[in-house]
Amino acid sequence: MSTTDTTRRPPRRPKPAPGSRRTSPVRVLGMAVVLLFTAFNLFVLYWLLASSFKTPVEIFTQPFQLPRQWFVVGKPLRNFIYAWSQAGFGSAFLTTVLLVAAAAVTVVLISAPAAYALTRLGFRGSNGMTNFIAVGMGVPFQTVIIPLFVGMSELGLTNNLFGLYLIYVALSLPFTVFLLTGFFRSLPDEMEEAAAIDGASPVRTFVSIMLPLASGGLITALILNTIGLWNETLLAIVFLQDNANFTLGRALFTFYGAASYQSEYGGLIAGITIVVLPMLLLYVVLARRIITGLTLGAGK
Amino acid sequence: MARPAGRQGAHLAGKRRLFWPLLAPAMALYLIFLVVPTVITAVLSLTSWAGAGDTPEFTGLDQYRELLGSESFQHAFLNTLAYIVLGGVGTFVLAFLFTMVLRDMRGGRLVRAVLFFPNIVAPVALGMFLGFVFKYQPNKQGLANFLLEGVGLDAVQFLRPENVTYAVIGALIWASSGFYITILMAAVDRIPPYLYEDAELAGASPWQKFRNVTLPLTWDVVGVAGVLWTINAMKIFELVFVLAGPGTYSPPIEAWTLGIYVFDRSFGTRGTPAYGVACACAVLMIVLVSVFVVLLRRLMRRDAIQF
Repeated sequence: MSTTDTTRRPPRRPKPAPGSRRTSPVRVLGMAVVLLFTAFNLFVLYWLLASSFKTPVEIFTQPFQLPRQWFVVGKPLRNFIYAWSQAGFGSAFLTTVLLVAAAAVTVVLISAPAAYALTRLGFRGSNGMTNFIAVGMGVPFQTVIIPLFVGMSELGLTNNLFGLYLIYVALSLPFTVFLLTGFFRSLPDEMEEAAAIDGASPVRTFVSIMLPLASGGLITALILNTIGLWNETLLAIVFLQDNANFTLGRALFTFYGAASYQSEYGGLIAGITIVVLPMLLLYVVLARRIITGLTLGAGK
Repeated sequence: MARPAGRQGAHLAGKRRLFWPLLAPAMALYLIFLVVPTVITAVLSLTSWAGAGDTPEFTGLDQYRELLGSESFQHAFLNTLAYIVLGGVGTFVLAFLFTMVLRDMRGGRLVRAVLFFPNIVAPVALGMFLGFVFKYQPNKQGLANFLLEGVGLDAVQFLRPENVTYAVIGALIWASSGFYITILMAAVDRIPPYLYEDAELAGASPWQKFRNVTLPLTWDVVGVAGVLWTINAMKIFELVFVLAGPGTYSPPIEAWTLGIYVFDRSFGTRGTPAYGVACACAVLMIVLVSVFVVLLRRLMRRDAIQF
């Protein structure tokens, strides 16, 4: 874990000498734009959270104020209760947690050995194969969705959470393998050689030396897949038809039309919040790891 | 390497034997769920096939002819192109501007974390949220029009079919700039600080520092970021679908993207499905991604890029 982190830490920047930092008008303007942009993002967050406790009238006529009406009536959680029980977000939440956890863990369990094999076993042609898998990141899902749908319905796996699980696992592989090859490549050779000299078999070297060393990468891959799959909607729309096994994104999608029709904007915003908030909390706790993980492939 | 050759050789052979067992599960899933379906899509694009209940019939390039001639595809194609090119230019200009400022700004890391957060929000939720921002309805205006009217301007119908593409481009630039700022800043952080100190002593302006230090030293990362942008912009679906449409069925064709086109022609609830044409469109999506990636790589021409 620490191996990759230390190598990626940027060089420390010395404090500029006093007086060397001039405040040019361009700089001030730039700072103002950056701060305004940042403030806007924070406001958006505030708006979302505050609106999920508001009545539709308040949402549109008092976008800046704190929620009031539902508190006055004594039903502060009214929107969330509506979304959770009436609009099916409660069961969708459970489905999503289980599906995403299972798929994310499986992806990492399958990708880690693959990434290890591609980077560490000195197999001829492994570079080409790494690229071959990485190319999969550039394939839009829309390209494979028709054959997958036809194939899965032949097997009776449409409208089926196991079918969606398989697809999630498979389609998350290219990115995960690519990310993990980066981590395995950055590990030092010496440990592996030492293990070999001590008589450890290749399998043992992988399981008890290299996997623990790469655990930082594995956790990062797990988190990034969790976020990606949690937010996935297109495949869930195509492969799930039954309200009973909807995921959160799917439930939100279905609820959208009905909510606008009935002016159930409070419930809709609460639904959006239920989708967004868990990932937001994850992000607040793990921002650094998420950001380095996502930029790892690009920044190399 | 004065190790006993026999033992090392045996170990190496053992490692090689491990290769396929470790790689096989991932490779099998990749082939079954991505590579083979892509090939099947390409084959199906040469057939007229309405979908389940119909039999595919080989028609050569007819589906492509039908596709290119249809108005909905032309909208989808031009919109997708606009997302890639206009959205890309906007995002990268913004990201560059921010790297110039953020490099030596106090609290820069916090700012970056805040700017990044829209990237962890589900596009479908982002689309609905933006629906509230852009809503046009007298006396019930969304946030954007609320502010416009607040300063005495007229409300704008952002979500009309002919405007929605530009509204989404703006939203896209807002939402994704944080990701590209972060990538570029990670590259900027690796530039040795003495280069900036030298530039500072020579009295360089922020623009000169950017032009002569930052840009040349992050060029390869910019190239990779451009490729990532293209791939992501090509896939745009939920954001537009939700924002431009009534919700569960397709929005008006003026707002379509290639992704929406494929979805509508295969799983849409309006009209009969046409899998053959949808597959032709999917193939064109891959072609378009490839063309852009090759062009970008050529344009950035650096060997150091690994992808």
